[in-house]
Amino acid sequence: MTAFTLDPRPASAGTAGATLEFRGLRRAFGATMALDGLNLTLNPGEMLALLGPSGCGKTTALRMVAGFETPDSGEVLLDGVDVTGTPAHRRDVGMVFQSYSLFPHLSVTDNVAFGMRMLGTPAARRRARAQELLELVGLPTQGGRYPRQLSGGQQQRVALARALALEPRVLLLDEPLSALDAKVRQSLREEIRRLQLELGITTLFVTHDQEEALSIADRVAVMRDGRLEQCATPEELYNSPATPFVAGFVGTMNRLPGRLSSDGALVDVLGLSRPVQGSLHGRDGTADVDVLVRPEALTVSAAPDGPAQLVAASFLGATTRLTLRLHGGREAVADVPTTHASTLPTGARIRLGLPERPVLIDQARNEETTA
Amino acid sequence: MALLTAPRGPRVRRTAPEARLGRTIALAPAVVYFLVPLLCALAFTVGLGDPRQKPSLDAYTAIFTTDGLAQSLGLTLLLAGATIILVFGLLLPALLAVRLVAPRAKALVAVVCMLPLVVPAVALGAGITTVLRWATDWLYDTPGFPLLASLQQPAFPVILVLAYALMALPLAYTTLEAGLNAIEVKVLVEAARSCRASWFRTLFLVILPNLRDALLNTAFLTIAMVLGEYAVSALLGFQPFAVWTVAISGSHAQLSVAVSMVGLIGTWLILLAVAKLGRSKASKETS
Amino acid sequence: MTLTAPGAVVADAGAKTRRQEPQAPGRRAARPSAGWLGVIPLLAFAAVVLGLPVAAMAAGSITTTNDAGGTVFTDANFAATFDGPYLESLMGSIRLSALTAFVATMVSLPLAYAIVTSRFRGLREAVLSASGVIANFGGVPLAFAFVSTLGNAGVLTGFFGLADKGWSLYTFWGLAIVYLYFLVPLMVLTLTPALDGLKPQWREAAQNNRATGFQYWRHVAFPILFPTLLSGFVLLFGSAFSAYATAAAMVGSSIPLVTVKIASALTGDVLVGQSNIALALGMDMIIVAALVIGIQLVLQRRTSRWLS
Repeated sequence: MTAFTLDPRPASAGTAGATLEFRGLRRAFGATMALDGLNLTLNPGEMLALLGPSGCGKTTALRMVAGFETPDSGEVLLDGVDVTGTPAHRRDVGMVFQSYSLFPHLSVTDNVAFGMRMLGTPAARRRARAQELLELVGLPTQGGRYPRQLSGGQQQRVALARALALEPRVLLLDEPLSALDAKVRQSLREEIRRLQLELGITTLFVTHDQEEALSIADRVAVMRDGRLEQCATPEELYNSPATPFVAGFVGTMNRLPGRLSSDGALVDVLGLSRPVQGSLHGRDGTADVDVLVRPEALTVSAAPDGPAQLVAASFLGATTRLTLRLHGGREAVADVPTTHASTLPTGARIRLGLPERPVLIDQARNEETTA
Repeated sequence: MALLTAPRGPRVRRTAPEARLGRTIALAPAVVYFLVPLLCALAFTVGLGDPRQKPSLDAYTAIFTTDGLAQSLGLTLLLAGATIILVFGLLLPALLAVRLVAPRAKALVAVVCMLPLVVPAVALGAGITTVLRWATDWLYDTPGFPLLASLQQPAFPVILVLAYALMALPLAYTTLEAGLNAIEVKVLVEAARSCRASWFRTLFLVILPNLRDALLNTAFLTIAMVLGEYAVSALLGFQPFAVWTVAISGSHAQLSVAVSMVGLIGTWLILLAVAKLGRSKASKETS
Repeated sequence: MTLTAPGAVVADAGAKTRRQEPQAPGRRAARPSAGWLGVIPLLAFAAVVLGLPVAAMAAGSITTTNDAGGTVFTDANFAATFDGPYLESLMGSIRLSALTAFVATMVSLPLAYAIVTSRFRGLREAVLSASGVIANFGGVPLAFAFVSTLGNAGVLTGFFGLADKGWSLYTFWGLAIVYLYFLVPLMVLTLTPALDGLKPQWREAAQNNRATGFQYWRHVAFPILFPTLLSGFVLLFGSAFSAYATAAAMVGSSIPLVTVKIASALTGDVLVGQSNIALALGMDMIIVAALVIGIQLVLQRRTSRWLS
């Protein structure tokens, strides 16, 4: 094991990130497979978000890096070295927990300095380094207080400082923002990203919040039922989802009824013909398909003979989300500029349009919209 | 470490062997310490410990025939029932008031309920004896005297109910507090009141059902306490269950041990059954 | 939070303080008396049933009846309690209680931990309910059980021939063994909620910060449990100190215990006129108990600033 030495560099000088690799991780809890053969590599200095619904195995994967879970098979490699058998307290990783993981009986400074105390660092140096870290997370004057005297957001900042105190090679964030208010969540997530970039530390961020994952990470890995669905940059994930699950889970996606041309190159949707960008499913021979369209891609205009009807409008600020009932009972949502939406009364007949761009298609499903 | 990289078969149980060993090391002597005296006591009651004696269940059959036992046990259960009613009658209004309208009284109520811990039962008994003796002197030939006498009727000594209730306060307070902490009393009351429930219905249909486990626990631990209480009753000269068993222990040693064991183990089994009943009911409610 | 509450559960850091919504001051001020209505019966009950006897005891302990039949103040009662056999019994009780409470505290921690972390729900339920019964049912059955096990004619005494080896249950150490039988369950009951309150994240966070298992206990779990251990110790001390039934039921016990002395002085086993000395002894007991709780509160305040 690498012996810990307190690095004389200031924390902001940037640590060389490590490579973190999952190789064929499998883990069953009773009859359920929490991880079903996970392969994934985090590049040095990268922030990767593991995204998925609860129970998809993302937390299990993260805990395997920390050493709190052991895989049934497969391994976790840190800079190419298998650490699967290394006990948790000898791994060189820092972790921020979901909530309330601060030691309640220790002051903020002592919490941050805890790891250094375990390693026998002299008290004066511990304090100095803890102060440095508290400044880094924006809490320079809170060192003497106790965790319960801090707000949730402040507590998580302290937890972040504690996780970074030993200059770990990998930072693990286990839904660190999920217990916080919306506003605090947003500012803290920007702060985490800023720090991560500044330190250049390889970071694994587990979350079930797709907006959070897309906004913070270099790459996002979407998981379902213990398997990796897709791992890509946020833009790629949003614009070209590889599976129907990803399409539905990341952002909002409308499923509009369409008909495929005989050669499969064009699709008829909303009375318009568009080239097919790709299909999420193998052809099953039928011509009826679902066309996947993001709400902001739909254009709406009032038309007395329009095939859709405006059911509801919810104001989101600059844009308004319109809920439309299509011919045949399906619903679709469209995000349009509020100035435009305000001209459309509820119940109005609407004509929908699509920009001249290739579209994604999927097997027809008998659902309305997938949120 | 390289040896560990080969894929391993699925393992289901993951308790570390050393943790299990530690548990065994901690529990095994405790099991011996706690079981052996009980087993020996049971052996003693059937005459197994003494080679001069023939093993028999006489001590247990005698439970049903011995004079005084049914009487003292009946008195004790009566006292226990009255004590439980008094404790609930005093504590529930106070604890609910603290939560709903008088949060400033919280510390005071807590201190008052814990105060009996400072006064040992023997001291309490001594104090009560003194009060009764002085009261007898002062109240003699006044209308207060019959009242004083009725407090100390051997058939149903109210004074013991008062003392037991006081002694049960700390335990009842902590148990009920824990129960109340687990539910949002204020929200429940406001919800019930907004559904037009009267205060009476709010209490009996909303609050108390949610406190069922805490109430049952308090009741049974109070029964256990009253069944075992010795100091105050003995000092005041009454003869409920515990005092009676000690009184006959000289002449009927096996019988006194037998009834004690039946009382102890019986209370435990009832408590366990109530817990089990509560759990199966709770799981039925959630499923 | 009441520091004397045996179950003083480890507080959920942060959550508690913020959940307390601000009270509407106007509403509370409008009906200041209504809320106290629920509290008054309890306070009145305690004032009469606890207050009167203690007051009577206090008065009796500093007075005596002179030859003319009048009541006069005296310090002789208290003086008597600090002398000879009375002082010996007081010290004996304190020593026995402190020792057994300490041992029970130490023994109960691993026991309670083993029970709390057990996979078997049944074990936990059985042990906790048994603990509740033993701790509350108390003295008499336990005395009987130990007399029939280790007493002069006890099963084990006969089986192992302990009497020839100098064993006697009716000694300080014999009584200590009996006391542990109800003190350990009481401590297990006290510790269980606190152990349940130890969050798994704390252990994991400690491990993540390079703490070994021992370091976790030394630097995290033990300090967090300390207030509960302390208040548990005081509760145990109080229980042992005030225990009377056990000693009374173990007829033939020659251990000087203050509770036994009070009872025999009151019931006139000894000389008449001793009853006021009994009252003074009772006051001594209350003072000792109050002192111990006072020390606990001071210690508690020092070691658990993080709780408030």
